[in-house]
Amino acid sequence: MKPTLILVGADKGGVGKTTLSRSLLDYFARKNVLTRAFDTENPRGSLRRFYPNITEVIDLANVAHQMKVLDTMETANVPVTIVDLKAGNLSYALDLFERIGVLEAGRNGLFNLGLVHVVGPSIASLDEIGEIAKYLQGVHYILARNSINETNFFEWDEATHEKYFSAIPKAQEINIPKLNEMAYEQVDLSGVTFKDFIENRTANGSNAKFSFVLRGYVKKWCSEIDAEFAHVQLLQEIVSGGRSGASV
Amino acid sequence: MAGRPTVYIIASDQSRNGKTLLARLMADYLLLDGKDPFLIDTDAPEGPLRAFFPGRTALADFEKTQGRMKAFDTILAAPGRDYVVDLPQRHVLDFFATVRELDFFSAAHEAGFRVIVFFIVDRATPSLRAAKDVYEEKGIDLFVAVKNDFVGSAWPPGEGALTLPLLPRDVALAISEKRFSLRNFVLGDDQGLESDQRLTLNNFMFSVLGSLNSLDTEISLAALKGD
Repeated sequence: MKPTLILVGADKGGVGKTTLSRSLLDYFARKNVLTRAFDTENPRGSLRRFYPNITEVIDLANVAHQMKVLDTMETANVPVTIVDLKAGNLSYALDLFERIGVLEAGRNGLFNLGLVHVVGPSIASLDEIGEIAKYLQGVHYILARNSINETNFFEWDEATHEKYFSAIPKAQEINIPKLNEMAYEQVDLSGVTFKDFIENRTANGSNAKFSFVLRGYVKKWCSEIDAEFAHVQLLQEIVSGGRSGASV
Repeated sequence: MAGRPTVYIIASDQSRNGKTLLARLMADYLLLDGKDPFLIDTDAPEGPLRAFFPGRTALADFEKTQGRMKAFDTILAAPGRDYVVDLPQRHVLDFFATVRELDFFSAAHEAGFRVIVFFIVDRATPSLRAAKDVYEEKGIDLFVAVKNDFVGSAWPPGEGALTLPLLPRDVALAISEKRFSLRNFVLGDDQGLESDQRLTLNNFMFSVLGSLNSLDTEISLAALKGD
Protein backbone atom coordinates (compact mmCIF):
# COMPACT_ATOMS: atom_id res chain seq x y z
CA MET A 1 0.00 0.00 0.00
CA LYS A 2 1.26 3.47 -0.88
CA PRO A 3 2.22 5.38 2.27
CA THR A 4 0.31 8.48 3.24
CA LEU A 5 1.61 11.70 4.72
CA ILE A 6 -1.02 13.77 6.50
CA LEU A 7 -0.16 17.29 7.59
CA VAL A 8 -2.32 18.82 10.29
CA GLY A 9 -2.05 22.55 10.61
CA ALA A 10 -3.51 25.98 11.06
CA ASP A 11 -2.16 29.47 10.78
CA LYS A 12 -4.06 30.49 13.85
CA GLY A 13 -3.28 29.07 17.28
CA GLY A 14 -5.80 27.55 19.66
CA VAL A 15 -8.13 26.09 17.07
CA GLY A 16 -7.72 22.49 18.24
CA LYS A 17 -5.02 21.32 15.86
CA THR A 18 -3.40 18.87 18.25
CA THR A 19 -6.82 17.57 19.25
CA LEU A 20 -7.51 16.87 15.60
CA SER A 21 -4.17 15.04 15.27
CA ARG A 22 -5.10 13.00 18.35
CA SER A 23 -8.49 12.25 16.84
CA LEU A 24 -6.85 11.00 13.66
CA LEU A 25 -4.37 8.81 15.52
CA ASP A 26 -7.20 7.45 17.65
CA TYR A 27 -9.34 6.82 14.60
CA PHE A 28 -6.59 4.86 12.86
CA ALA A 29 -5.91 2.89 16.05
CA ARG A 30 -9.58 1.93 16.27
CA LYS A 31 -9.38 0.84 12.63
CA ASN A 32 -6.17 -1.13 13.23
CA VAL A 33 -4.05 1.03 10.93
CA LEU A 34 -0.46 1.54 12.00
CA THR A 35 0.59 5.15 12.35
CA ARG A 36 3.52 7.27 13.37
CA ALA A 37 3.50 10.95 14.24
CA PHE A 38 5.83 13.91 14.25
CA ASP A 39 5.18 16.84 16.48
CA THR A 40 6.77 20.09 15.29
CA GLU A 41 6.00 21.91 18.51
CA ASN A 42 9.67 21.75 19.33
CA PRO A 43 10.80 21.21 22.09
CA ARG A 44 7.57 20.78 24.11
CA GLY A 45 5.58 18.40 21.94
CA SER A 46 2.03 18.30 23.26
CA LEU A 47 1.08 15.48 20.88
CA ARG A 48 3.92 13.37 22.22
CA ARG A 49 2.40 13.53 25.70
CA PHE A 50 -0.55 11.45 24.48
CA TYR A 51 1.29 9.17 22.05
CA PRO A 52 4.82 8.82 23.42
CA ASN A 53 5.48 5.48 21.70
CA ILE A 54 4.80 6.63 18.17
CA THR A 55 5.55 10.34 18.29
CA GLU A 56 8.82 12.18 17.74
CA VAL A 57 9.31 15.87 18.34
CA ILE A 58 11.10 17.51 15.44
CA ASP A 59 12.19 20.92 14.26
CA LEU A 60 10.95 21.33 10.74
CA ALA A 61 13.70 23.82 9.88
CA ASN A 62 16.33 21.20 10.69
CA VAL A 63 17.35 19.25 7.58
CA ALA A 64 18.13 16.10 9.54
CA HIS A 65 14.63 16.19 11.01
CA GLN A 66 13.10 16.74 7.57
CA MET A 67 14.95 13.62 6.40
CA LYS A 68 13.68 11.70 9.42
CA VAL A 69 10.13 12.28 8.22
CA LEU A 70 10.42 12.20 4.47
CA ASP A 71 13.23 9.78 3.68
CA THR A 72 11.61 7.09 5.79
CA MET A 73 8.17 7.20 4.20
CA GLU A 74 8.84 4.00 2.25
CA THR A 75 11.05 2.21 4.74
CA ALA A 76 9.19 2.86 7.98
CA ASN A 77 6.68 0.16 7.10
CA VAL A 78 3.91 2.27 8.57
CA PRO A 79 1.14 3.26 6.19
CA VAL A 80 0.29 6.59 7.79
CA THR A 81 2.57 9.41 8.91
CA ILE A 82 0.96 12.36 10.64
CA VAL A 83 2.82 15.64 11.07
CA ASP A 84 1.28 18.00 13.58
CA LEU A 85 2.48 21.43 12.49
CA LYS A 86 3.22 24.03 15.11
CA ALA A 87 0.56 26.71 15.52
CA GLY A 88 0.95 29.53 13.03
CA ASN A 89 3.31 27.44 10.92
CA LEU A 90 1.07 26.15 8.16
CA SER A 91 2.03 28.57 5.38
CA TYR A 92 5.69 28.28 6.32
CA ALA A 93 5.57 24.47 6.29
CA LEU A 94 3.79 24.31 2.94
CA ASP A 95 6.25 26.74 1.44
CA LEU A 96 9.15 24.69 2.82
CA PHE A 97 7.66 21.43 1.51
CA GLU A 98 7.17 23.03 -1.89
CA ARG A 99 10.78 24.20 -1.99
CA ILE A 100 12.31 20.87 -0.95
CA GLY A 101 10.11 18.87 -3.31
CA VAL A 102 7.77 17.14 -0.90
CA LEU A 103 4.61 18.46 -2.49
CA GLU A 104 5.97 17.57 -5.91
CA ALA A 105 6.70 14.01 -4.75
CA GLY A 106 3.13 13.73 -3.53
CA ARG A 107 1.78 15.06 -6.82
CA ASN A 108 3.93 12.51 -8.67
CA GLY A 109 2.37 9.69 -6.67
CA LEU A 110 5.34 8.61 -4.53
CA PHE A 111 2.99 8.81 -1.58
CA ASN A 112 -0.48 10.14 -0.83
CA LEU A 113 -0.44 13.60 0.59
CA GLY A 114 -3.19 15.08 2.72
CA LEU A 115 -3.58 18.35 4.53
CA VAL A 116 -6.04 18.72 7.37
CA HIS A 117 -6.54 22.42 7.81
CA VAL A 118 -8.10 23.11 11.18
CA VAL A 119 -10.08 26.31 11.42
CA GLY A 120 -11.94 27.97 14.21
CA PRO A 121 -15.12 29.99 13.98
CA SER A 122 -13.52 33.38 13.38
CA ILE A 123 -13.65 35.17 10.04
CA ALA A 124 -9.83 35.33 9.99
CA SER A 125 -9.81 31.59 9.30
CA LEU A 126 -11.30 32.24 5.87
CA ASP A 127 -8.26 34.20 4.74
CA GLU A 128 -6.01 31.25 5.58
CA ILE A 129 -7.76 29.17 2.94
CA GLY A 130 -6.98 31.73 0.29
CA GLU A 131 -3.35 32.02 1.41
CA ILE A 132 -2.55 28.32 1.15
CA ALA A 133 -4.61 27.50 -1.94
CA LYS A 134 -1.60 27.87 -4.24
CA TYR A 135 0.12 24.86 -2.62
CA LEU A 136 -2.79 22.47 -2.83
CA GLN A 137 -2.57 21.08 -6.35
CA GLY A 138 -2.56 17.30 -5.98
CA VAL A 139 -3.06 17.43 -2.23
CA HIS A 140 -6.10 15.95 -0.49
CA TYR A 141 -7.31 19.05 1.29
CA ILE A 142 -9.58 18.51 4.28
CA LEU A 143 -11.00 21.58 5.91
CA ALA A 144 -11.88 20.78 9.52
CA ARG A 145 -14.27 23.16 11.20
CA ASN A 146 -13.48 22.62 14.80
CA SER A 147 -16.21 23.22 17.37
CA ILE A 148 -14.71 21.03 20.08
CA ASN A 149 -14.04 23.88 22.49
CA GLU A 150 -16.44 26.34 21.04
CA THR A 151 -19.99 27.21 21.77
CA ASN A 152 -20.10 30.02 19.18
CA PHE A 153 -21.47 29.55 15.73
CA PHE A 154 -19.09 29.97 12.85
CA GLU A 155 -19.01 33.64 11.91
CA TRP A 156 -18.14 32.99 8.32
CA ASP A 157 -19.66 34.53 5.28
CA GLU A 158 -20.58 31.25 3.62
CA ALA A 159 -20.47 32.79 0.12
CA THR A 160 -16.87 33.90 0.63
CA HIS A 161 -16.01 30.52 2.11
CA GLU A 162 -17.51 28.78 -0.88
CA LYS A 163 -15.50 30.99 -3.23
CA TYR A 164 -12.22 29.96 -1.55
CA PHE A 165 -13.20 26.36 -0.98
CA SER A 166 -14.50 25.55 -4.44
CA ALA A 167 -11.24 26.77 -6.01
CA ILE A 168 -9.31 23.95 -4.35
CA PRO A 169 -9.25 20.57 -6.09
CA LYS A 170 -9.76 17.45 -3.94
CA ALA A 171 -11.25 19.58 -1.14
CA GLN A 172 -13.48 18.06 1.47
CA GLU A 173 -14.93 19.48 4.63
CA ILE A 174 -15.60 17.95 8.02
CA ASN A 175 -17.08 19.27 11.24
CA ILE A 176 -15.48 18.34 14.54
CA PRO A 177 -18.33 18.32 17.06
CA LYS A 178 -18.24 19.84 20.50
CA LEU A 179 -17.10 17.61 23.33
CA ASN A 180 -18.39 18.07 26.87
CA GLU A 181 -15.91 20.42 28.53
CA MET A 182 -15.32 18.31 31.62
CA ALA A 183 -14.75 15.24 29.50
CA TYR A 184 -12.26 17.08 27.34
CA GLU A 185 -10.42 18.42 30.38
CA GLN A 186 -10.34 15.01 32.04
CA VAL A 187 -8.83 13.32 29.00
CA ASP A 188 -6.31 16.11 28.75
CA LEU A 189 -5.36 15.90 32.42
CA SER A 190 -5.08 12.14 32.27
CA GLY A 191 -2.68 12.33 29.33
CA VAL A 192 -4.21 9.26 27.71
CA THR A 193 -5.63 8.67 24.26
CA PHE A 194 -9.37 9.01 23.69
CA LYS A 195 -9.46 5.26 23.06
CA ASP A 196 -7.80 4.44 26.38
CA PHE A 197 -10.06 6.88 28.19
CA ILE A 198 -13.16 5.20 26.77
CA GLU A 199 -11.75 1.80 27.71
CA ASN A 200 -10.90 3.07 31.21
CA ARG A 201 -7.18 2.42 30.90
CA THR A 202 -4.21 4.44 32.05
CA ALA A 203 -1.33 5.28 29.73
CA ASN A 204 0.56 2.19 30.91
CA GLY A 205 -2.40 -0.09 30.24
CA SER A 206 -3.60 -0.67 33.80
CA ASN A 207 -7.19 -0.17 34.90
CA ALA A 208 -8.17 3.43 35.48
CA LYS A 209 -11.04 4.96 37.42
CA PHE A 210 -12.36 7.43 34.91
CA SER A 211 -15.92 8.61 35.23
CA PHE A 212 -18.50 6.48 33.43
CA VAL A 213 -20.33 9.65 32.44
CA LEU A 214 -17.27 11.35 30.99
CA ARG A 215 -16.21 8.17 29.21
CA GLY A 216 -19.69 8.02 27.73
CA TYR A 217 -19.42 11.55 26.41
CA VAL A 218 -16.02 10.82 24.84
CA LYS A 219 -17.31 7.60 23.32
CA LYS A 220 -20.25 9.38 21.72
CA TRP A 221 -17.98 12.16 20.49
CA CYS A 222 -15.61 9.63 18.91
CA SER A 223 -18.52 7.96 17.15
CA GLU A 224 -19.55 11.36 15.78
CA ILE A 225 -15.98 11.95 14.58
CA ASP A 226 -15.94 8.51 12.97
CA ALA A 227 -19.05 9.51 11.05
CA GLU A 228 -17.29 12.68 9.85
CA PHE A 229 -14.11 10.84 8.89
CA ALA A 230 -16.22 8.31 6.99
CA HIS A 231 -16.92 11.07 4.42
CA VAL A 232 -13.24 11.66 3.74
CA GLN A 233 -12.02 9.80 0.69
CA LEU A 234 -8.35 9.78 1.68
CA LEU A 235 -9.06 8.34 5.13
CA GLN A 236 -11.36 5.69 3.74
CA GLU A 237 -8.73 4.62 1.21
CA ILE A 238 -6.26 4.22 4.07
CA VAL A 239 -8.66 2.32 6.29
CA SER A 240 -9.73 -0.04 3.55
CA GLY A 241 -6.12 -0.88 2.74
CA GLY A 242 -4.83 -0.74 6.33
CA ARG A 243 -3.06 -3.46 8.18
CA SER A 244 -4.04 -4.97 11.49
CA GLY A 245 -2.11 -4.79 14.72
CA ALA A 246 -1.73 -1.10 15.36
CA SER A 247 0.76 -0.18 18.02
CA VAL A 248 -1.19 2.78 19.40
CA MET B 1 -37.78 -7.31 47.18
CA ALA B 2 -35.47 -10.21 46.87
CA GLY B 3 -32.94 -10.78 44.16
CA ARG B 4 -30.42 -8.65 42.35
CA PRO B 5 -29.47 -5.15 43.39
CA THR B 6 -31.84 -2.78 41.70
CA VAL B 7 -31.92 0.78 40.46
CA TYR B 8 -35.40 2.12 41.18
CA ILE B 9 -36.23 5.23 39.19
CA ILE B 10 -39.19 7.32 40.33
CA ALA B 11 -40.45 9.61 37.58
CA SER B 12 -43.40 11.50 36.18
CA ASP B 13 -44.02 14.06 33.48
CA GLN B 14 -45.91 16.26 35.96
CA SER B 15 -44.85 17.91 39.19
CA ARG B 16 -46.36 17.70 42.68
CA ASN B 17 -47.99 14.33 42.27
CA GLY B 18 -46.23 12.24 44.90
CA LYS B 19 -42.84 11.29 43.43
CA THR B 20 -40.90 12.09 46.55
CA LEU B 21 -43.50 10.33 48.71
CA LEU B 22 -43.15 7.24 46.51
CA ALA B 23 -39.35 7.47 46.69
CA ARG B 24 -39.64 7.63 50.50
CA LEU B 25 -41.96 4.64 50.51
CA MET B 26 -39.57 2.71 48.30
CA ALA B 27 -36.58 3.55 50.49
CA ASP B 28 -38.44 2.67 53.70
CA TYR B 29 -39.75 -0.53 52.16
CA LEU B 30 -36.22 -1.59 51.31
CA LEU B 31 -34.94 -0.64 54.77
CA LEU B 32 -37.74 -2.62 56.41
CA ASP B 33 -36.76 -5.51 54.17
CA GLY B 34 -33.24 -5.40 55.61
CA LYS B 35 -31.66 -3.75 52.57
CA ASP B 36 -29.23 -0.86 52.55
CA PRO B 37 -30.48 1.44 49.79
CA PHE B 38 -28.72 4.59 48.70
CA LEU B 39 -30.79 7.44 47.33
CA ILE B 40 -30.08 9.90 44.55
CA ASP B 41 -32.08 13.09 44.83
CA THR B 42 -31.85 15.02 41.56
CA ASP B 43 -34.09 17.82 42.77
CA ALA B 44 -31.28 20.28 43.52
CA PRO B 45 -30.84 22.58 45.29
CA GLU B 46 -33.86 21.82 47.50
CA GLY B 47 -33.32 18.09 47.89
CA PRO B 48 -36.69 17.10 49.34
CA LEU B 49 -35.81 13.40 49.49
CA ARG B 50 -32.48 14.07 51.14
CA ALA B 51 -34.33 15.91 53.91
CA PHE B 52 -35.87 12.57 54.96
CA PHE B 53 -32.75 10.44 54.55
CA PRO B 54 -29.84 12.82 55.04
CA GLY B 55 -27.31 10.09 55.77
CA ARG B 56 -27.96 7.97 52.72
CA THR B 57 -28.81 10.44 49.98
CA ALA B 58 -26.65 12.17 47.39
CA LEU B 59 -27.98 15.43 46.03
CA ALA B 60 -27.13 15.57 42.32
CA ASP B 61 -27.97 18.54 40.14
CA PHE B 62 -28.80 16.76 36.93
CA GLU B 63 -28.53 19.94 34.87
CA LYS B 64 -24.77 19.89 35.39
CA THR B 65 -22.18 17.38 34.25
CA GLN B 66 -20.99 17.03 37.84
CA GLY B 67 -24.55 16.12 38.87
CA ARG B 68 -24.78 13.46 36.20
CA MET B 69 -21.45 12.07 37.32
CA LYS B 70 -22.66 12.06 40.90
CA ALA B 71 -25.76 10.10 39.93
CA PHE B 72 -24.44 7.56 37.44
CA ASP B 73 -20.88 7.18 38.68
CA THR B 74 -22.05 6.72 42.26
CA ILE B 75 -24.32 3.87 41.22
CA LEU B 76 -21.76 2.10 39.06
CA ALA B 77 -18.92 2.59 41.53
CA ALA B 78 -20.71 0.62 44.28
CA PRO B 79 -22.93 -1.92 42.57
CA GLY B 80 -23.76 -4.23 45.44
CA ARG B 81 -26.72 -2.29 46.82
CA ASP B 82 -30.09 -0.86 45.80
CA TYR B 83 -30.47 2.71 44.57
CA VAL B 84 -33.56 4.88 44.48
CA VAL B 85 -33.42 7.77 42.02
CA ASP B 86 -35.97 10.54 42.55
CA LEU B 87 -36.42 12.49 39.32
CA PRO B 88 -38.27 15.78 39.35
CA GLN B 89 -40.50 16.41 36.36
CA ARG B 90 -38.09 18.95 34.82
CA HIS B 91 -35.30 16.37 34.50
CA VAL B 92 -37.24 13.40 33.15
CA LEU B 93 -36.64 13.95 29.42
CA ASP B 94 -33.04 14.92 29.96
CA PHE B 95 -32.45 11.97 32.28
CA PHE B 96 -33.65 9.38 29.79
CA ALA B 97 -31.86 11.15 26.92
CA THR B 98 -28.63 10.94 28.92
CA VAL B 99 -29.31 7.30 29.78
CA ARG B 100 -29.56 6.59 26.06
CA GLU B 101 -26.54 8.72 25.17
CA LEU B 102 -24.33 7.01 27.73
CA ASP B 103 -26.01 3.60 27.42
CA PHE B 104 -26.36 3.64 31.19
CA PHE B 105 -28.87 0.82 31.46
CA SER B 106 -26.49 -1.57 29.67
CA ALA B 107 -23.70 -0.54 32.01
CA ALA B 108 -26.05 -1.05 34.97
CA HIS B 109 -26.96 -4.54 33.75
CA GLU B 110 -23.29 -5.37 33.26
CA ALA B 111 -22.69 -4.28 36.85
CA GLY B 112 -25.38 -6.74 38.01
CA PHE B 113 -28.32 -4.36 38.46
CA ARG B 114 -31.84 -4.64 37.28
CA VAL B 115 -33.70 -1.46 36.44
CA ILE B 116 -37.23 -0.74 37.61
CA VAL B 117 -39.05 2.44 36.67
CA PHE B 118 -42.04 3.73 38.60
CA PHE B 119 -43.92 6.29 36.55
CA ILE B 120 -46.68 8.29 38.21
CA VAL B 121 -49.37 8.79 35.59
CA ASP B 122 -50.99 12.12 36.31
CA ARG B 123 -54.63 13.02 35.64
CA ALA B 124 -53.89 14.89 32.38
CA THR B 125 -54.11 12.70 29.27
CA PRO B 126 -50.61 13.66 27.92
CA SER B 127 -49.25 11.87 30.99
CA LEU B 128 -50.30 8.58 29.39
CA ARG B 129 -48.24 9.40 26.30
CA ALA B 130 -45.25 10.31 28.48
CA ALA B 131 -45.64 7.02 30.38
CA LYS B 132 -45.68 5.11 27.10
CA ASP B 133 -42.51 6.89 25.91
CA VAL B 134 -40.69 5.89 29.09
CA TYR B 135 -42.12 2.37 28.94
CA GLU B 136 -40.55 1.99 25.49
CA GLU B 137 -37.07 2.95 26.68
CA LYS B 138 -34.69 0.05 26.11
CA GLY B 139 -33.11 -1.66 29.11
CA ILE B 140 -35.91 -1.31 31.67
CA ASP B 141 -36.54 -4.64 33.39
CA LEU B 142 -39.88 -3.64 34.87
CA PHE B 143 -42.08 -0.63 34.26
CA VAL B 144 -44.61 0.10 36.99
CA ALA B 145 -47.41 2.56 36.31
CA VAL B 146 -48.45 4.39 39.47
CA LYS B 147 -51.76 6.07 40.26
CA ASN B 148 -51.92 8.57 43.05
CA ASP B 149 -55.54 8.85 44.20
CA PHE B 150 -54.71 12.19 45.80
CA VAL B 151 -54.19 13.83 42.38
CA GLY B 152 -56.09 11.46 40.07
CA SER B 153 -54.75 9.58 37.07
CA ALA B 154 -55.43 9.15 33.36
CA TRP B 155 -54.33 5.52 33.69
CA PRO B 156 -57.20 3.33 32.42
CA PRO B 157 -59.29 1.77 35.21
CA GLY B 158 -58.73 -1.95 35.44
CA GLU B 159 -55.22 -1.81 33.99
CA GLY B 160 -52.58 -2.95 36.44
CA ALA B 161 -50.98 -0.15 38.39
CA LEU B 162 -49.54 0.49 41.79
CA THR B 163 -51.96 2.74 43.65
CA LEU B 164 -51.18 5.31 46.29
CA PRO B 165 -54.52 5.47 48.13
CA LEU B 166 -56.08 8.79 49.02
CA LEU B 167 -54.77 10.23 52.26
CA PRO B 168 -56.74 12.86 54.18
CA ARG B 169 -55.05 16.25 54.00
CA ASP B 170 -54.16 16.30 57.72
CA VAL B 171 -52.38 12.93 57.46
CA ALA B 172 -50.63 13.93 54.23
CA LEU B 173 -49.47 17.08 55.95
CA ALA B 174 -48.28 15.22 59.04
CA ILE B 175 -46.17 12.72 57.12
CA SER B 176 -44.66 15.47 54.96
CA GLU B 177 -42.85 16.80 58.02
CA LYS B 178 -39.23 15.86 57.57
CA ARG B 179 -38.99 14.48 61.09
CA PHE B 180 -41.69 11.93 60.23
CA SER B 181 -40.38 8.47 59.43
CA LEU B 182 -42.73 6.10 57.63
CA ARG B 183 -40.48 3.22 58.58
CA ASN B 184 -40.64 4.08 62.26
CA PHE B 185 -44.39 4.34 61.97
CA VAL B 186 -44.56 0.80 60.61
CA LEU B 187 -42.30 -0.27 63.46
CA GLY B 188 -44.78 1.12 66.01
CA ASP B 189 -43.78 4.72 66.58
CA ASP B 190 -46.94 6.78 66.01
CA GLN B 191 -44.95 10.04 66.07
CA GLY B 192 -47.83 12.02 67.52
CA LEU B 193 -50.60 10.96 65.16
CA GLU B 194 -54.15 10.78 66.48
CA SER B 195 -55.74 7.36 66.58
CA ASP B 196 -57.90 7.89 63.47
CA GLN B 197 -54.88 9.25 61.63
CA ARG B 198 -52.89 6.20 62.70
CA LEU B 199 -55.59 3.92 61.37
CA THR B 200 -55.69 5.75 58.03
CA LEU B 201 -51.94 5.74 57.62
CA ASN B 202 -51.77 2.13 58.69
CA ASN B 203 -54.17 1.17 55.89
CA PHE B 204 -52.23 3.29 53.44
CA MET B 205 -48.92 1.69 54.37
CA PHE B 206 -50.41 -1.79 54.34
CA SER B 207 -51.73 -1.21 50.84
CA VAL B 208 -48.59 0.35 49.37
CA LEU B 209 -46.06 -1.96 51.01
CA GLY B 210 -48.20 -4.93 49.97
CA SER B 211 -48.17 -3.69 46.38
CA LEU B 212 -44.41 -3.23 46.44
CA ASN B 213 -44.03 -6.70 47.86
CA SER B 214 -46.15 -8.16 45.07
CA LEU B 215 -43.76 -6.69 42.49
CA ASP B 216 -41.48 -9.60 43.30
CA THR B 217 -44.00 -11.88 41.64
CA GLU B 218 -44.18 -9.61 38.62
CA ILE B 219 -40.40 -9.57 38.32
CA SER B 220 -40.26 -13.35 38.56
CA LEU B 221 -42.96 -13.69 35.92
CA ALA B 222 -41.18 -11.23 33.66
CA ALA B 223 -37.96 -13.20 34.09
CA LEU B 224 -39.77 -16.45 33.28
CA LYS B 225 -41.22 -14.89 30.14
CA GLY B 226 -37.78 -13.65 29.22
CA ASP B 227 -38.89 -9.99 29.10
